[in-house]
Amino acid sequence: MNGPWVEKYRPKNLDEVVGQDHIIQRLKRYIKEGSMPNLMFTGPAGVGKTTTALTLGKALLGEYWRQNFLELNASDARGIDTVRHNIKNFCRLKAVGSPFRIVFLDEVDNMTKDAQHALRREMEMYTRTASFILSCNYSSKIIDPIQSRCAIFRFTPVKGHQIIKRLELIAEAEKIKVTINALESIVYFAEGDMRRAVNILQTSSSVGEEVTEENVQEVVSKAKPQDVRKIINKALDGNFLDARELLREVMVVQGISGEDLVTQIYQEIAQMAREGLLGEEVYVDLIENIGKYDFRIREGSNPRIQLEALLTKFLFKANAK
Amino acid sequence: MLWTNKYSPKNFKEVLGNNKAKDEISEWIDNWLINKPKKPLLLVGPPGTGKTTLAHLAAHEFADHIELNASDKRSYDILLGTVGEASATGSLFNQGLKLIILDEVDGIHGTDDRGGIRAITKIIKEGHHPLVMMANDPYSKRIKSLKNKCQVISIRKVHTNSIVALLKRICTKEGIEFEEYVLRTLAKRSNGDLRSAINDLEIIARGKKSISTEDLKIISQKDDIHNIFDSVRTVLKSKNPQRIKEAMRVEADPAFMLELITENIPREYEKKHEIQDAYEMISQADIYLGRAFQTRNYGYWKYSYDLMSLGVALSKDETYKKFARYTNSTVYAMLSKSRAKRDLQDRIAAKIGYKTHTSLKVAKQQFPYLEIMFQDNELAWELAEYFRLENDEVKLFRSRKIKKPKTVQSKTLKKENQVKKRSNPKKIKDKKIKEQITSTYLHVKKIKSTQTKESNKKEDKIEDSKSKSNKKVSKSKSKEKQVSLFSFK
Repeated sequence: MNGPWVEKYRPKNLDEVVGQDHIIQRLKRYIKEGSMPNLMFTGPAGVGKTTTALTLGKALLGEYWRQNFLELNASDARGIDTVRHNIKNFCRLKAVGSPFRIVFLDEVDNMTKDAQHALRREMEMYTRTASFILSCNYSSKIIDPIQSRCAIFRFTPVKGHQIIKRLELIAEAEKIKVTINALESIVYFAEGDMRRAVNILQTSSSVGEEVTEENVQEVVSKAKPQDVRKIINKALDGNFLDARELLREVMVVQGISGEDLVTQIYQEIAQMAREGLLGEEVYVDLIENIGKYDFRIREGSNPRIQLEALLTKFLFKANAK
Repeated sequence: MLWTNKYSPKNFKEVLGNNKAKDEISEWIDNWLINKPKKPLLLVGPPGTGKTTLAHLAAHEFADHIELNASDKRSYDILLGTVGEASATGSLFNQGLKLIILDEVDGIHGTDDRGGIRAITKIIKEGHHPLVMMANDPYSKRIKSLKNKCQVISIRKVHTNSIVALLKRICTKEGIEFEEYVLRTLAKRSNGDLRSAINDLEIIARGKKSISTEDLKIISQKDDIHNIFDSVRTVLKSKNPQRIKEAMRVEADPAFMLELITENIPREYEKKHEIQDAYEMISQADIYLGRAFQTRNYGYWKYSYDLMSLGVALSKDETYKKFARYTNSTVYAMLSKSRAKRDLQDRIAAKIGYKTHTSLKVAKQQFPYLEIMFQDNELAWELAEYFRLENDEVKLFRSRKIKKPKTVQSKTLKKENQVKKRSNPKKIKDKKIKEQITSTYLHVKKIKSTQTKESNKKEDKIEDSKSKSNKKVSKSKSKEKQVSLFSFK
């Protein structure tokens, strides 16, 4: 079974993990010692947090790692109840076949503060039997008591040349031809996100014989939310109610996240400026506002309300070319 | 005996207000009594305005009456069983006419009272008896089909002055001294709901010799959806801080309040800078809601409330004198309409997340790529197998069913086939997809040309970072791109 390449070519051991050398070095020391403290991995999406946790778990726990490794990602209900029951039941039992047990919690920053506080107690109580690996995008959203109980590792976006190297490896194994321009183009769109890079590569390879720059750009332009330009144009024309309605449609019904959407709005605006559709001053003014609202969204407010507010900044800007 | 019963009108004359409605009802009754069957009556109006009273008064004119209201279960069978039978059999007196009263027909429940409306329609068609129905919400979807089969009479709110007069009469009869101000406040507060005004009066006055402003504190305002909309209206219509603060004293979830005010800003405000300023306030209010939620410090709510009310109110230059139709947030309608789709998305995302160690959110970000990959028959089959997607789940990514590849039995064969297939790419037969691709290809070409220009610029910049570019903006743009590429945070 081949399946998605992101899984097929997920690194099997720590040495294969790309682009986080300083972190890998330190983690290897834990393997040598055969023990580890509680860890927290922070960093943007697709830089190897989960992969590192999985490979580290395998290396530390050995043959019976499956029995002694509990993975809970944000798709699982993770209210206080989960923390209280699942994690507690798992930690209560002593590891069999492994030196200790590991609980891996993904996207801890999406857990409620109450659940985080419950988690903190568990981390204290079971230090003898289990270690925790927590991963999150923003460590600022994690309560202090948890942060102080963890060794924090900050993952950085994967560098362009490292992504290219990995993609070449995959292309070779899959026996597909990829032009160097295509690779550079993938790197450009991936923005340091290895998952996205691999996804673009596999998708591009499914639409043509050879992966070319055109294929890559076709895939990327098809994969992005299609209505963003429409929303922007409606707002620029001063048709706020329609623009808002479409924005809500995209977010509520299509389920596009606020963070994705704000990036997309930024790219569309940049594109429109390049096409000469926006004056320089208008462009700079809009960028300033986009940045402002991007920050507000990431700070933890309601993305839809914030993006609606951002849309008001576009009103009638088209006339002010 | 409750005062609402004790002082309920004994005849049509005593009913306050709504003179035209009263005349219409009297005429309707007279027609029935002289054997001229009329369409059923549908009385529509806000609560406490006398609909039920009018119906009961009408019942006195007939030999007998039968009544069903919201407290009774009103499914198809039950309605036909009780009302239907009664309407088919006659009564002995007054030409055997029996008045059927169906109260709160807009409250007939979709599932519990299955077929209720259908039953009513049937009774209207067959019945030889007068029928009166009552409803609160004239726009309710449930009574839409009934409206054109009935004579609709709208019952209006009772005027404050009429309410005050009645309250005075009650006080006099009960021997209670009163301040005019107290009664007027009660009347205003009731918002045209006579029943609640009398109830309020009874709460503060029963068993007392006199009532004063002090007593008003005992009763709190009713916090229903109407009050919330009134608060929203005050925020958007008024510029008086005192009144607005007062209006915001409703017991509503601040996020819901924020949503309602936000929804109606562009429906009331017309100038673009007003909308912008108001939305800035909404944005700030929302930030405090987020902070309150994150830190569990709900003290932040007070800033949120002030920003969403006073902040928004003072964003307008002057008050608008127009009538704007306010609505509930369209987000709620969207949420309920798209539930099935979102459930499907979640289900698929959970399956993908399970296999790829990702959360629902991250899994959903893969959807667009999967959609393209699923256009390839072989790959689609493979992925569907890998993620264990059911047929209906596959439909999210492609409209056609996936045919089982012929070589699926042997893994090695399949791989070879796959390689072969890749060397023969134009297998995509679907015309639609082809068109799509060509159209996006053209679009892509455009992007590409600009892109290469830009990457050239980038290189130039690296070579000579101090050289001044003529196009300042495009330079800063490429700089930003560079940043986002290599130190993406």
